[in-house]
Amino acid sequence: MADHTNPILVIAEKEIGDTWRDRFVLIVTLFLVTAAMTALVVGAIALKTDVTTYNAARAALLALGKSAAVIAKPEFYPLKLLRGFVEHVEIIGAVIGILIGYRAAANERGRQTLALIMTRPVGRIQFLLGKIAGALALIFIGLTGTFLLAGASVSLLGGVVLSLNDVLRLIIVDLLATAYALIFFLIGFMAALWAKKLPNALLVAFTVWLTVVLIAPQIGDTMDPDNQVAGGVFAQLHVTKAQEHAILASFSTYETLRNGIEIISPTKHFERLTFAILGIKNIYTGKALSPILIEKTGDIIWLISVIGVLLLVLLSRPLDPNRLSKE
Amino acid sequence: MPDTVIEIVDLNKTYASGHTALRNLTLEVRQGEVFGFLGHNGAGKTTTIHILTTLMAPSSGMAKICGHSVEEAPNEVRRHIGYVPENVRLYDTMTARANLRFFGRLSGVENLERRIDETLEFLESQHLADRLVGSFSKGLRQRIGLAQAILHRPAVLFLDEPTSGLDPLGIKTLRDLIVRLNTEFGTTIFMNTHLISEIAKTCHTIGVLNQGRLVFNDTITAVSERYGDDAALEELYLSITPVARKDEAA
Repeated sequence: MADHTNPILVIAEKEIGDTWRDRFVLIVTLFLVTAAMTALVVGAIALKTDVTTYNAARAALLALGKSAAVIAKPEFYPLKLLRGFVEHVEIIGAVIGILIGYRAAANERGRQTLALIMTRPVGRIQFLLGKIAGALALIFIGLTGTFLLAGASVSLLGGVVLSLNDVLRLIIVDLLATAYALIFFLIGFMAALWAKKLPNALLVAFTVWLTVVLIAPQIGDTMDPDNQVAGGVFAQLHVTKAQEHAILASFSTYETLRNGIEIISPTKHFERLTFAILGIKNIYTGKALSPILIEKTGDIIWLISVIGVLLLVLLSRPLDPNRLSKE
Repeated sequence: MPDTVIEIVDLNKTYASGHTALRNLTLEVRQGEVFGFLGHNGAGKTTTIHILTTLMAPSSGMAKICGHSVEEAPNEVRRHIGYVPENVRLYDTMTARANLRFFGRLSGVENLERRIDETLEFLESQHLADRLVGSFSKGLRQRIGLAQAILHRPAVLFLDEPTSGLDPLGIKTLRDLIVRLNTEFGTTIFMNTHLISEIAKTCHTIGVLNQGRLVFNDTITAVSERYGDDAALEELYLSITPVARKDEAA
């Protein structure tokens, strides 16, 4: 074992070891992997069904002596298979973040260990940064493993080798997913660090999770007129984009409210970003990476700002060893 | 090393709730002393230890450990102190050695593995090294708690109610260890307790805190010469803490 004595690294290393010994986080990560793989398989089956249907229709047309050009060939973008996977990362990745955060503080409560750490030559900020560094490493390792598996499965199920560009997109989404889960780590960590009673911390953290991961995006989606009809109400009515914008302009207050509800949720920003980068949303399918990143800079800044604000709150508040002496 | 290792002048602490825990506490502990800090529950003993171990800032006044101010040079203070809180539990899922390794690395102890072995040997606890702390009795945990506190050979050791919850054998073992630490390493020991018998058997000097005020401070030798045995010491203690007694009776 390396005998480095940088307190941040020592605390981070212990954090990783603790989480490894505490199998619960590992089990939740395996659950994420299972759910993600299931989503991938379902996506692949749907794609194969499309291909089979197309081939059957094409064969029928050719048998009738007609041109097969009248039916659209199904396009295959392997990263589109990751839609369900990304949605699972949004929900379960956030849970993993909260659990790691809760554990990181709960582990110190009731056993006087924080008092012992704070009477060593370790600053409060070093202690907190050590916890964050450990969590960041754990989240990144867990998610990277899941993304590697997802990438390999996409290749295997789709029967294609991912291009360098696809791999780059996956790496970016992996980093964004780490940042996204870090937000929930910080929420779980702060709740467990400051709650008078430990069970209240979980209640607070999961209330936030429920609000920003499930409720706010769902309200935003439900209020979206384009989501009221399968395929989009405007598309079904053959309304052009220009007309659509003109119609929506008449409902600007409603749209501002709907968008406002959506954007309070880091989940929505993460989803907008990843759906664009992976080309899951049709308007971004096949589009080059740089213009997507430029267009989505706002979402990236938003995610970074949330992390920044949470870090600021965490680092500026004094630690109370007395509070942490109670379970 | 200065002759006075703990220096407290006019120390006050008032909590945000408005409760005043310490009132103009002035105290000195000399190098090599075992100092017993006696007082009822809520007298301010733990608050004093929290301030001296840099866990808490005083409202006013000055406190120095080995010449370093607890407020201005907390990291210097931390290099010179060891601390065993009341009811220390450590990390249950780690072995005693892993716990010691963690705290030793935070203290920057060199040749750490050897130091852990030496410390466990001193505490006659080598057999505990590779066992999970979660499986330990309170007495054994207390011993490993003591091990983490002396791993870096601090000049001053703070013990907060060290015998709390221990059985008679555990109390005797810990008392013997405190005495050995003091005589073999020359460690200055500052011990909070409300057990008069412990003070008489272990300490060189005694301070009595009542409602945040130091109401008595003298050597055990002087106290024994003046007041005689443990029973007399108990009478002395009860006579100088009347307000707290009245509160307790109420």
